[in-house]
Amino acid sequence: MADKEKRRSGATPPGMPEGNATKSDSDREFLSRAGVGELLRGAILKMVEARSDDPIGFLADHFCNLASVSETGTAGYSDVDHFSDGPLSAGAQEQQHLNRALWHLRLAHHSQRSAFSNNVRVAYDLLNLTGPLRRSGEVPQGPDVSCTDSPTEGGGGGGGVKGGLYTQTLQCLCSEGGVPASTSAPLLQRLHCQDHEAVPYDIFRHGVLTCAVFSDYIRQAQRLYAEVCCPDEGPASRALCLSVLGTLKEALETSQGCEANVCDNSNMKVNSCLEGNVKALCYLEASAKISPYRLGQAMAGAQARGPGGNMDAKEFENAAAELFITRVKVVS
Amino acid sequence: MSAEDRRPASCSIKPPVYLHIGDADAAHSGVCVLDVCLPLGKPVDIQEITFKNYYTAYVTVRLLRRSPGHEAPAKWSTALRDLPLMDNPHTEGGSQDYCSVHRAQMQVEPDHVTSVRLILRQPSSAWLTFSLEQIQIFPQNPEKEVSDWLSDLTLGDQHPDLEGLPDPQTVSSSLQQMWALTEVMQSNQTSASIGRYDVDGCYDIKLLSLT
Repeated sequence: MADKEKRRSGATPPGMPEGNATKSDSDREFLSRAGVGELLRGAILKMVEARSDDPIGFLADHFCNLASVSETGTAGYSDVDHFSDGPLSAGAQEQQHLNRALWHLRLAHHSQRSAFSNNVRVAYDLLNLTGPLRRSGEVPQGPDVSCTDSPTEGGGGGGGVKGGLYTQTLQCLCSEGGVPASTSAPLLQRLHCQDHEAVPYDIFRHGVLTCAVFSDYIRQAQRLYAEVCCPDEGPASRALCLSVLGTLKEALETSQGCEANVCDNSNMKVNSCLEGNVKALCYLEASAKISPYRLGQAMAGAQARGPGGNMDAKEFENAAAELFITRVKVVS
Repeated sequence: MSAEDRRPASCSIKPPVYLHIGDADAAHSGVCVLDVCLPLGKPVDIQEITFKNYYTAYVTVRLLRRSPGHEAPAKWSTALRDLPLMDNPHTEGGSQDYCSVHRAQMQVEPDHVTSVRLILRQPSSAWLTFSLEQIQIFPQNPEKEVSDWLSDLTLGDQHPDLEGLPDPQTVSSSLQQMWALTEVMQSNQTSASIGRYDVDGCYDIKLLSLT
């Protein structure tokens, strides 16, 4: 936030004429000289893309971002008081890149496929810079800019994102998504990369998407626990929780089984239409296992003959998380 | 069920036998018999017989059926008598059509069939020869268990006793979301690798040489 302070310190930004122009220098000329039109248009476009719930906060973050970009872009140039040793130290610069990358990743929900992919690409390019910024005045305006500027092999600055930075990104995504550290630890165990490794784009995207989906999943699991347990009666019965999670496990195993079947047939000449039909049938079958009717049966049965005792929210969350995490592929 | 689901039963088609009247070089009688033998010991429940016509006017389908479990000898029965394949035996119409005979058209149930005999008739003298080609016999697929769980879905009125239990509708919709999220994650797995060479986190040279 030190950036904001510097702006407000009253030192005029470079490029602006000293003192107030006369009134005859019309308002329109003033605005066009300052480039305010472009600035606002970019802000509004970003806002429409992100559709955040907090427009003012979003705009504040956006301009803060721009301010930090233009400052580091012109490091050592202006007469504004920077750190005495000129450009920011490497560690602080990395943190700044990380913050900006996270900001981009927060813009779109993972269900908005193309917007999310674009943002992941921008974030990757940001984190991919291993040295000082190659070009000044880099403004993260959107996919076109980063695509034309960075060569196709994933960023000219480095061959990949540093493993430590990547792991930090994932940790921040999980904690911002409301997942407690203990729950996300096994997931990160599967996805993390060592600091000396260079993470290529595909793995970066996979990790980011998985964490985004996982935070949604955990939130949903928390909601599920609230539905399963009657709030006035304390924690939910163990049998009930286990039966509910058991139906989810069955459904997941059914759809996973169909994946295996389809793959087994890949040697034979099975046309894609048939494969699609088989897969659709499997999904239908899996979803039938979590239909309200089946659930009602399972819950009624559990009540009658399940194990005794209660299950608290934490244990339920961990059990649900385990169902998800066992299906995450380990990065290798 | 799409047509590509089925695979024809493996069968051996004997060469057609043209019946003659009198000596061998006398005129053709216009009747030909084609025997199609199904694998020994594996009787088939026929779903459909398909073939390509080659100037055959009428076809009669006879089946040799052996009822399972009984030691009774197999019996021949007529499944279809004189099915017309050509509108007019003297003209081209229908002479090279692809045809199929479904089990619903047959007069007897084509179950436990060990052999099929096709009797072809071509009364017209206009054609030098006639036969059937690309004969395929499709067995009945065992019905997939689609019906089992589909019928479960429609059993709306049999509500189990839900006294004191959470509402299955809300629980189900939450579970469906969680299931969908897991599927999204799984379908987005990448096969890219970061190129690690360690075995269980260990770069011991001796271990590496074993892989």
